[in-house]
Amino acid sequence: MLDLLPHILNGLTLGLLFALIALGFTLIVGVMEVINLAHGSLFALGAYFALSLLGGMWFGDTAFGAWWLSLSIETRYVAALFVGPALAAIAGMALELCLRPTYGKAPLYGLLLTFGAALVIEEIIRLGWGTGEQNLMVPASINGPVLVAGFIYSKYKFFAAGFSIVAIFGVWLFLEKTPYGAIIKAGAHDSEMVRALGYDLSKLRLMVFGFGAALAGLAGIIMVPIWGLRPHVGIDVVIPAFLIIVIGGIGSFWGALVAAIMVGLAVGITGAYAGAWATMSMYILLIIVVGFRSRGLFGRKSALEN
Amino acid sequence: MISLSDIPARSRFRVYAPMVVMAVALSAAPWWLPAIGLYQYLGIEIAIWMIFALGFNLLFGYAGLHSFGHGAYLGIGAYAFGLFQQNVAVSLWGGLGAGILAAGLAGAIVGAFVSHRRGIYYALLTIGFGQVFWFTSMKLYGVTGGEDGLLGIPRPPLTLFGLEYALRSNVALFYLAAFFLLATVLLMWRLVNSPFGRVLQAIRQNETRARFAGYEVWRFKWAAFVISAMFAGLAGGLFAMAQQSAYPDVMSLHQSGLIVMMVLVGGGLVSFWGPVLGVILYFVARDVLGGLTETWLLWYGMMFMAMVMLRPEGLAGMIHLGWKRLRGASDKPVILLAEKA
Repeated sequence: MLDLLPHILNGLTLGLLFALIALGFTLIVGVMEVINLAHGSLFALGAYFALSLLGGMWFGDTAFGAWWLSLSIETRYVAALFVGPALAAIAGMALELCLRPTYGKAPLYGLLLTFGAALVIEEIIRLGWGTGEQNLMVPASINGPVLVAGFIYSKYKFFAAGFSIVAIFGVWLFLEKTPYGAIIKAGAHDSEMVRALGYDLSKLRLMVFGFGAALAGLAGIIMVPIWGLRPHVGIDVVIPAFLIIVIGGIGSFWGALVAAIMVGLAVGITGAYAGAWATMSMYILLIIVVGFRSRGLFGRKSALEN
Repeated sequence: MISLSDIPARSRFRVYAPMVVMAVALSAAPWWLPAIGLYQYLGIEIAIWMIFALGFNLLFGYAGLHSFGHGAYLGIGAYAFGLFQQNVAVSLWGGLGAGILAAGLAGAIVGAFVSHRRGIYYALLTIGFGQVFWFTSMKLYGVTGGEDGLLGIPRPPLTLFGLEYALRSNVALFYLAAFFLLATVLLMWRLVNSPFGRVLQAIRQNETRARFAGYEVWRFKWAAFVISAMFAGLAGGLFAMAQQSAYPDVMSLHQSGLIVMMVLVGGGLVSFWGPVLGVILYFVARDVLGGLTETWLLWYGMMFMAMVMLRPEGLAGMIHLGWKRLRGASDKPVILLAEKA
């Protein structure tokens, strides 16, 4: 049992990170009824922006750049944690503007448009940051090994898991306890009524997309030191996110959370016994769950079925 | 927006003008391709992708079922072809038969899972299965050669009525691919204009109503999936011959997305010929834009986005509308004209 513990911990960490990615995804599906295949690309974009910011890539030679690089790595890291997601949010909002002509048509068009957008963003990343694998720096204070209950574990993974829990709790608070959250949830439930009550639906959609993209970017910055950063990381990451929301039920907060932990644990435990097949366990889980419950664990009937 | 029913699927003739144009253009390709600065291999590639796209459009355009994992069946065809050559016998017909059968079998299994779903759930499940095949091809190292794939697949000679033709040159292989492409066009044309094709279109327009009309809808959806997978398998077998290898990349989500992009940009949603146009447009974009800039995929992607936003009926739809306007016919329904008069 104790031998399995690191794998379970790995699985839980992975699950929490997956949840962070899937939450933005499920929010966008729930409110907009758009399967955003570019979600992974926004994830990558957030991480690449953070990379540039940490290394002072764009203003390296200026006076501002010299001052910036003289700051401690912790300060720059915290700044990147805010600025990276903000820039991803802007990209996400631009994508929402492109999506507008597809509203009211079959959900296929949103899916296709975001697939095209994923391709475009990936090419932009290749153009701007090169095609090679990059490494996102992490401050030494949250890096390195730590001794837990008799075995050595990565300190960063604890940080990543803790950060995800806080962020997920923050999203829950935002959705459940603020008026904005109430409007977003209402918009997902009955957009007609929300419009009739005088809320600007197009502004709401823009905000939701920006918020979802910011979550993706944040997840990117946190996850990439574990997964590695390369231009096509977006595709690698959108697939688990995708499986998770299908397993959990499209548009469901708790579904995404439960499914993400399930998938994380499945990958972690499979990894202990048959490392090469770890990723496959997600698909098996998908086929089992969807085979029994076509709408996923917590799914309800939605417009996406037409 | 126009739909498939606006561009009539049924012509008075079994063989009509675009088919003749296509046959002539194909048989002359080895002369005109080099003349406009292109190369022989491109012809093979285009013919293979056209077979794949025409088969895919039976599902995508005619039945309105959005498979996002169709690269898998192309890959399965390619692997089956290669494995047949390496483990059973060096035979063209055997290899292509194995490719079609293997892809059809995989399609039959997946089709049984997905055919009860519709809309986005259909697309999601096909992505899931596509990824399973891709992943398996990477991990079953002993069978598929892992990430390197199968290398050194021979190009078996064509044996016909006791005669043997070598297919080592690209021109010879092109003629084989072109022959299969024309056969695909005729078969597909027959199929979409048959009662079966009509039922598929009815399912696209309103699945519930088609069910109430007494059709066992899921069987038709399943059959469309299997048939399109078999054509993908044929394309895959030819692909393995052309490349003399088979590798997991063919099955990736990127590749599966590419076929959707080609068919949509060409206008597969509104026309039988849409997939053919889409494949031409893609390869022209790749070779012409690719000659000008390294980031041609960025521009192609942007063009695709613009197409989805503004003209989802694709190139075929635009040509159709332009043709109508040229002839002075109005887009408006007849009733409106009558009201004006």
